Amino acid sequence: MKRKHRLTICLLILLVIIPVFISGCWDSIELNKLSIISGLGWDIDADTGQLTLTFQSIIPSEIKSAAGSSGDVGQKRGDPLHTIQLDSSTGSSAYDALNRYSQQSSRRTFYQHTQLYVFGHSAAEKGIYPLLDSIARNPVNRPNVLMAVAEKKASDTLSVEAGMENIQAIGMAAQIKLSAEYSKFPVVTYLEFAQRLLSETTAPLAPMVGIIEQTGPEGDRVQKTRISATAVFKGDKMIGQLNEDESRGLLWAINKIKKGFLVIPGANLEIVSAKSKIVPELQDDKIMITIAIDEESNLLEYDGHQEISSDLLQDLEKGQAREIESQVMAAVEKSRALNADVFGFGEAVHRKYKKEWRDLKARWDEIYPYIEIVVKVKTQVNEIGEINRSLN
Amino acid sequence: MPGFLFKKLHFKKILNHEQKKSAGQYSSSVSLSQNLEENLRVLREALGSSSDVIIRDMKISSDSNIDAAVVYIDGLVDRALLNHDILRPLMFNLQLIKDNLSHNHKSLIDYIKSSVLTVGQITVVQDIDRVIARVLTGHTAILAEGATRALLIDAKGWETRRIEEPKNELSIRGSKESFTETLRTNTALLRRKIRDPRLTFESLQIGERSKTDVSIAYVQGITPDNLIEEIKQRLQRIDTDIILDVSYLEQFIEDSPSSLFPTVGSSERPDVVAARILEGRAAILVDGSPMALTVPFLFIEGFQNPDDYYARPFFAALVRWVRLLGYLLSIYLPGIFVSLKTFHPELFPTQLLVSVAAAREGLPLPVVLEALLMLLLFEILREAGLRMPRSLGQAVSIVGALVIGQAAVSAGLVGAPMVIVIATTAIASFLVILFAEPGALYRFIMTLAGGLLGLFGIVLVSIEMLSHLASLRSLGVAYLSPVTPLNIRGLRDTFIRAPLWAMDSRPASLDSPNTRRQSSGQMPRPPKTSSQQGDTQ
Amino acid sequence: MLLENGKISSLQLSLLIIGFIFGASVIIAPGQQAGHDAWIAIALGLMEGLIIAGIFTVLTQHFKGKTLVEINSLVYGKILGNFISILFIWYLFHLGALVLNNYSRFLKLELYPATPKALTLILIMLVCALTVRRGIEVLARCSLILVTITILMAIFDTLLVAPHMDLQNLLPILDVPIGKLLWTSHATAIFPFGDAVAFLMVLAFVNKPEKSRSAVFKGILIAGLVLIGVAVRNAAVLGQMVAIYTYPTYITAQVIDIGDVLTRVEVLVAINLITMGFFKISVVYYGTVLGLAQVFNLRSYRPIILPIGILMVILALTNVSNTTEMFDFANQGYPIYTIPFQIAIPLITLLVAKLRKLPQTRGEQA
Repeated sequence: MKRKHRLTICLLILLVIIPVFISGCWDSIELNKLSIISGLGWDIDADTGQLTLTFQSIIPSEIKSAAGSSGDVGQKRGDPLHTIQLDSSTGSSAYDALNRYSQQSSRRTFYQHTQLYVFGHSAAEKGIYPLLDSIARNPVNRPNVLMAVAEKKASDTLSVEAGMENIQAIGMAAQIKLSAEYSKFPVVTYLEFAQRLLSETTAPLAPMVGIIEQTGPEGDRVQKTRISATAVFKGDKMIGQLNEDESRGLLWAINKIKKGFLVIPGANLEIVSAKSKIVPELQDDKIMITIAIDEESNLLEYDGHQEISSDLLQDLEKGQAREIESQVMAAVEKSRALNADVFGFGEAVHRKYKKEWRDLKARWDEIYPYIEIVVKVKTQVNEIGEINRSLN
Repeated sequence: MPGFLFKKLHFKKILNHEQKKSAGQYSSSVSLSQNLEENLRVLREALGSSSDVIIRDMKISSDSNIDAAVVYIDGLVDRALLNHDILRPLMFNLQLIKDNLSHNHKSLIDYIKSSVLTVGQITVVQDIDRVIARVLTGHTAILAEGATRALLIDAKGWETRRIEEPKNELSIRGSKESFTETLRTNTALLRRKIRDPRLTFESLQIGERSKTDVSIAYVQGITPDNLIEEIKQRLQRIDTDIILDVSYLEQFIEDSPSSLFPTVGSSERPDVVAARILEGRAAILVDGSPMALTVPFLFIEGFQNPDDYYARPFFAALVRWVRLLGYLLSIYLPGIFVSLKTFHPELFPTQLLVSVAAAREGLPLPVVLEALLMLLLFEILREAGLRMPRSLGQAVSIVGALVIGQAAVSAGLVGAPMVIVIATTAIASFLVILFAEPGALYRFIMTLAGGLLGLFGIVLVSIEMLSHLASLRSLGVAYLSPVTPLNIRGLRDTFIRAPLWAMDSRPASLDSPNTRRQSSGQMPRPPKTSSQQGDTQ
Repeated sequence: MLLENGKISSLQLSLLIIGFIFGASVIIAPGQQAGHDAWIAIALGLMEGLIIAGIFTVLTQHFKGKTLVEINSLVYGKILGNFISILFIWYLFHLGALVLNNYSRFLKLELYPATPKALTLILIMLVCALTVRRGIEVLARCSLILVTITILMAIFDTLLVAPHMDLQNLLPILDVPIGKLLWTSHATAIFPFGDAVAFLMVLAFVNKPEKSRSAVFKGILIAGLVLIGVAVRNAAVLGQMVAIYTYPTYITAQVIDIGDVLTRVEVLVAINLITMGFFKISVVYYGTVLGLAQVFNLRSYRPIILPIGILMVILALTNVSNTTEMFDFANQGYPIYTIPFQIAIPLITLLVAKLRKLPQTRGEQA
């Protein structure tokens, strides 16, 4: 009796499980039926307003032959472009373009390994909100994909040769990360971009990628990508850019300096550590913001016009403080000119004065250019390197 | 026709008689008669006309007037012993005695026992059935005319395997002896480890035809009494023809026969069994089986190894973790790999995905099938390697390595990453031999679940597996203890192995009435006096 | 007639409660309405939740070794008692369906967009049913291992995501209007803490009933602290985005990237969800079948496990049609809908029992 009962239950369970086997696995995909996207680019044609989506996808079989049998490594390595494939499709909106892409692809697109979103210059100026929403709503989007704005067209940027990396987008992402490592330009993930976008007053940022041409080993022209500036957005529209110095100034202020070099007249210093703090002060409806920067560096290069002494070190410290301050002020000036709160001063005020913020928030665009900004820099030179005296 | 019927009836009668005999106890059976002829006739009838049954008639006593017989089974007795210490004294020494024994039949048997035979173990019995049973186990019986009692002499001696090194449970530093097929040798091995007078071997015979000797070993006062009672009950319930091996018993007494995991432990090492007995367990030894069962059996025992206790504690802990990790790998690795490849390629780091995808290009089979095929191939190879005559073993490994490894990959049938995964799994599966069987089954289940439902399927199967393990009991002890239900003191011998001097109590989950194993605070310290001397000098 | 022979220890009870509270809340961030102040909402909610737990544990302290169904029939008499019990069982059953619904929705959105919900639900149900069949003891034993792993994973996740944390994101404190904050904290008191009222069906099986009360408190407190930690972490990592994402914990885990190697570990969160959801579903499932068996005087609750499970799956598949509706219900409807079950029934039963001086009469009967 009891055994019979158990048998019935087993049969019922089987009845439930068998459909899984028969109807197969809805979400299962074989890797060789996927086209792994490494980079995505958006371009908007300024005249027609048509959107062009550029897909950079990985061709695994090419990478296999590059990494595999040792015989033909050399030949294959010479052709890094073979490891990726570029496709593009045009439509009136992001999803329209995506839809059309399925007409020209043999494999399902797989976005979870996308390294980089590149927005063409015109697309960025037109506003990327519709493009972002199409990413964010979709769970295949990951929060730490890097954002970049192309100096001209995204599709051209994605088609530049890969250089040392076997996949171009991975290389470009590494390039952006390295530039942030050396405190040149900010590295901006999708998440950070969206956070700034959401705060209403803070201006989103993205590094800008340009293309340079160099002469290759065989006299041919070789294209390379180069991080050239920081794009500044107001809302979802790009309104301007910060150049190299201004970008460094921005990084000083928002506490994003990691390491890097600081060139002052007569010497070159290596930044060891840097910290900064934005302290807002609200007095009678007047906002004053203090940017306090605390920096330590090592002496890397010195032209030797003076003996190394503690006086000299003090001079160097003063010199680099001046340099830092001027960089920050350059960024401040530019942001005032653009009327874009790239530093997140608004959020800083919000954190400290949440009651007053409710009024200030609405008028922020009017207030921002007139905020009084004080930069306080404290620097210290720690080490002088392997020699304690100049060679001459 | 009537003759046929009669025959049939008669046959039935015999059958009934035999059945009764086998089912009933020996106490209710026939006593020996005074007449030797009669006794021998009964014996011949019972033992049949087997050629190995030897009934040696003789005349004993000084005037050779008493008929006697020695009954034994050739091959089960030690011939030298029989000739020198039984037959010779009976036939030769007895004749030297001047007393006339013929008038004193009653004491003849006693006299032989006390003054003639020079062997150790002799019993006096009165039942003829008892004689038959004992002769079958290798005793030698002496019957004499006019005596209603018979002598049973333990002169067992047959070809046995010597005590050899353990074949399956290897140890680097531990003792190098393992159990043999002889029950007495095995009990002796245990007795030599535990010289406690309370070490008890309770014997019973199981198996209607085989009459296998089974012995329950425990130490009184350390093994809980209710455990012994439960084991005895379960053993006595068994009603079967033959017990060929200790694993027959295992299948009759285990708590959850439908589980994939064993709930009865077994070991071929006397040191392991002795240690387990002193933790509060009981061991079951079976004649003819070089393994001993130990109960209760806990899940964690599968990950313990004698070397853990012989090695230094830190290394032992590391090895425990390696085993645990290896076992989990052997179950999960193919399943997780398959599910990552088919459901969650986003979880690979990008560069890894690229190389995995590169290896995947152009392969004909879906990943699940590929994995299942490789797993099956591995199982085939393993089984073949195990059962194949040793001389052919090499052929298997060569063909296996070629087929599974090189050729399959270069022919583009399976991907190289899959081969790596399956090979890792295969090696990891040998880390915990005791659970290799459930491991292999769960490996297949996980691979299927991973291939059909991805990680979700694997997690569900894992929860079900855990819940199943948590529901298991081994003779009333929760299988997963001391981890869950948690017993913090018990954890000293699970994920770590505490130093021996720190393990001062027996595992609490075993509920031993004598919990203290040793006095605490035995941590070795430098002698105080000598250090003071060192200071002064 | 004993429907359940198992006994659970107070440690197991605490862990079971932690697992139960984590249930759906590891993934559905409680207090999300309060944005980066979610942790304050959770802290306030935790206090209210402890009060709710205080009420129902007083009840079980009065009637040691009795489930709510047995208490009800003692306090109100057979007919009225059973009626109230059935109301409570409906709450458990409905709660189970809601959790199942959350569960399948998450799986559908983040992991298995094409697999039908019915399939995932049936499979989860099957696993829960098998465990419920084995009794509360086995469930409690599983809790020790799974809850420990979950807490360790949460800590692990937090450590890995630490480089991406910016505690400035938590400022300014109390940014949301106070009314909204209080409402949100009430919502978190109800879900997940107040749902622990389901343990009225389980507390009877604690081996040391006098310790069960502190065990419940400990469990709720630890779970609450972990949830506060998770809320702080999520807000610190995601900033203002924390209020926007449907599953902030999952996204937070996606942010983890340690040297391009330790990355893409969000699946750990998904595993946590599945295992902890298993506890929540199993406990309410167990309460439902045990309660029904007691109301209808069945000899065993096992025969009704499968039918109830199937009904629960059907309810889960039909009751809410889309995510927006679910969130609306979770934020607005649920905190009011559950008050009768989480607060009124235990409180009134306790008062009636006190008026009738019931525990003593029970002693006389025994």
